[in-house]
Amino acid sequence: MSFLIWRQYRLQAAFAALVLAVFAAVLLITGLKMASQWHTILSACTASGTCGSLQQQGGASLGSVLGHDFAILSMLAPALFGMLVGAPLLAREYESRTFDFAWSQSVTRTRWLLVKVGWVLLAAAVWGGVIAELVTWWSGPRNAAYQNWFQPNYFDQQGIVPIGYSVFATALGIAAGAVFRRTLPAVAIVVGGFIGLRLWTSQDLRLHYMTPVTTSYSMTGNFNPPTGSPLVGGGMTGPNGQVLAQNFNSDNTFNGVPISSLPHACQALASQASNLSTQASNSAQNAANSAQNAANQCLARAGYHNFLSYQPASRYWAFQGIETGIFVALALVLLAVTFYVVRNRDA
Amino acid sequence: MNTCAIETQGLSKRYHRVTALSDCSVTVPEGRISALVGPNGAGKTTLLRLLAGLARPTGGSALVLGGTPRQDPAFLSEVGFLAQEIPLYRRFSAQDHIQVGAHMNLRWDAESVRTRLTGLNIPLDRPVGKLSGGQRAQVALALTLAKQPRVLLLDEPVAALDPLARRHFLGTLTAAVAESGGELTVVLSSHLITDLERVSDHMILLSASRVQLCGDTDELLAEHKLLVGPRKDTAALERMHKVVHTVSTPRQARLLVRLSGPVFDPAYEAEDVSLEDLVLGYMGADAPAAYAHLAAVGDDQ
Amino acid sequence: MITFRVDGRSGVPPYLQIVQQVRQALRMGVLDVGDQLPTVREVVAAVAINPNTVLKAYRDLEREGLVEARAGQGTFVKRRPPGPPPGTHSRLGRSLEHWVREAREAGLDDESIESLLRVTLRSAETAVDSHHSPEEEIA
Repeated sequence: MSFLIWRQYRLQAAFAALVLAVFAAVLLITGLKMASQWHTILSACTASGTCGSLQQQGGASLGSVLGHDFAILSMLAPALFGMLVGAPLLAREYESRTFDFAWSQSVTRTRWLLVKVGWVLLAAAVWGGVIAELVTWWSGPRNAAYQNWFQPNYFDQQGIVPIGYSVFATALGIAAGAVFRRTLPAVAIVVGGFIGLRLWTSQDLRLHYMTPVTTSYSMTGNFNPPTGSPLVGGGMTGPNGQVLAQNFNSDNTFNGVPISSLPHACQALASQASNLSTQASNSAQNAANSAQNAANQCLARAGYHNFLSYQPASRYWAFQGIETGIFVALALVLLAVTFYVVRNRDA
Repeated sequence: MNTCAIETQGLSKRYHRVTALSDCSVTVPEGRISALVGPNGAGKTTLLRLLAGLARPTGGSALVLGGTPRQDPAFLSEVGFLAQEIPLYRRFSAQDHIQVGAHMNLRWDAESVRTRLTGLNIPLDRPVGKLSGGQRAQVALALTLAKQPRVLLLDEPVAALDPLARRHFLGTLTAAVAESGGELTVVLSSHLITDLERVSDHMILLSASRVQLCGDTDELLAEHKLLVGPRKDTAALERMHKVVHTVSTPRQARLLVRLSGPVFDPAYEAEDVSLEDLVLGYMGADAPAAYAHLAAVGDDQ
Repeated sequence: MITFRVDGRSGVPPYLQIVQQVRQALRMGVLDVGDQLPTVREVVAAVAINPNTVLKAYRDLEREGLVEARAGQGTFVKRRPPGPPPGTHSRLGRSLEHWVREAREAGLDDESIESLLRVTLRSAETAVDSHHSPEEEIA
């Protein structure tokens, strides 16, 4: 039966290999260039002792636009596999009615499906994995320069999550093809479902996989989370530790907190700081800074604190694992649906 | 003793509100070539697909070779099914299909496919999409026979073939039955009654999703007569026999009658029926109003 | 080797057509004593009829004593049907061909030829009867 899959997908496999080869070539060439670029920058800053402030400097524009574009495009790769391989897998058999041939031989539908789906998902994982590997390697210098590997979009291109995305997108295409028996609706579902879920996880869900670390610090002090740690939230806590509500859209706020909810003793200072900060002149800005410091000291005496919630950068691989696990789990659910539908619905 | 290759009891299939097959009880003894006839939409394809295990009934039961149609290799290897649209992978050649079949079947006689196809001058290495309709049908039939089934279900396999291709197809089919020594049972649906007359020795007639006739052709033909006589009241006749269909002019009537004994009425002349008379008669009995005028005018040949 | 032709519209049951064609072949000398009849499989592959039809025909011929089935080998011709030897058939067939050509040249169509044949056959019967009577009288 594997023979049949091979014969059916020979051409597509060759085409995919070609695409991967081109992709790899572009990334290899631009990546090597970027790596030497980075090397030069590093040696320069090591010599001048300014490496610590590299991130603030913006690290210059590292790497070529082409390479960067390809890396961004790689985020479409899982969806492409789902659309071009997953969606037609069963839908095409229904549309051309070749399932009447396949299901009139002596293999059960379950076994037939198992072999088909098995190979295709393996191919999806390889597809996602190879691309992820290439982009991760290519991103090395950029990760070091910008410390942004945990940020949305960059997180999604590297590590192991693209494997999960590919497997999910393919399983989604397969399931949609089984339910609707038509390729076009299945493709549409892959596009819609994939984009929807990826946007949601990337922008919203991801930062909540684990309880964020919350660090309280003095109103007059400063706190920087470890480099590369994405922020989840921040604000002020009152003397009892309660988080103060923030509203950045209204006036009369100090760091987003309505001044009316601050202790009376500090309200005047807070208003002053707030009013002065809206004025453009240098003298007004300087005055605003000192008013701010005064207000902070007042609040600190009243027991108020600042806090920041963040996900430590050290949790990067844990998060990669969790997100991959979520997508793979969803893929398994979709596969269960597929097997049920194929086995139990009339041919 | 002749065992039954196929036996159904009250088999029904309903899709939401549409009844495709209703209360269908048929038997097909082993070794027969059975013709499945009836108007379009009568349930022929549904019946064949239920017997092949491709669909599940909503009522009643079916036994094929003593077992319920189900998805397991033992059953699937005994029952061959050829769907109406000759499902093959268009890009694959006959040789490719032979290899695919070898991997997907318990018993597989690859040599028989090669012999049959070369005997018909059908190239084994050309993509089947490039073959003619008749050649494709022969490839599909040869592949279906290669797994050495004991029951073969064919859904209008010759519908799209020219007369010569049809003759060759049926020749291959009957030769396979001859070779099997009575072990291969065939159910073949078709509209072409002349072909069925030559090839079949058993008939299942479906009309309006129900079974109207089922039995050996010889017996069915012997049980029916065409009574030709003056147009008159048939009540007395109907008390004894079943009048299936009447075609009448103002003066004359032709009655297709299923006999329960001899006919005593001297007014009628009794003629033997042909398979075509039988099929048309039963189909005509259920004909929609659009055809009613034919019964009145007497268009009988 | 004999080839069969089954005409679905002829009103003669298929198995009977086969029986008749075997008998005809024997009369004409196409089949000879000891020849093997085509196997059931060979017949149906060429003619596309139900195998049981052929089996029935061969059984009928066996019952008439014209053929015999040898286990594992096939069906073989045992005897010719009663009647004049094959040579007669071909000889008469040839002179008939000659006559038909003449009739056609004279302008007779098939229908006229057929009715002429029928009339002649009928008068031949009465001629045989009248031929017999004088002998009886003499005796």
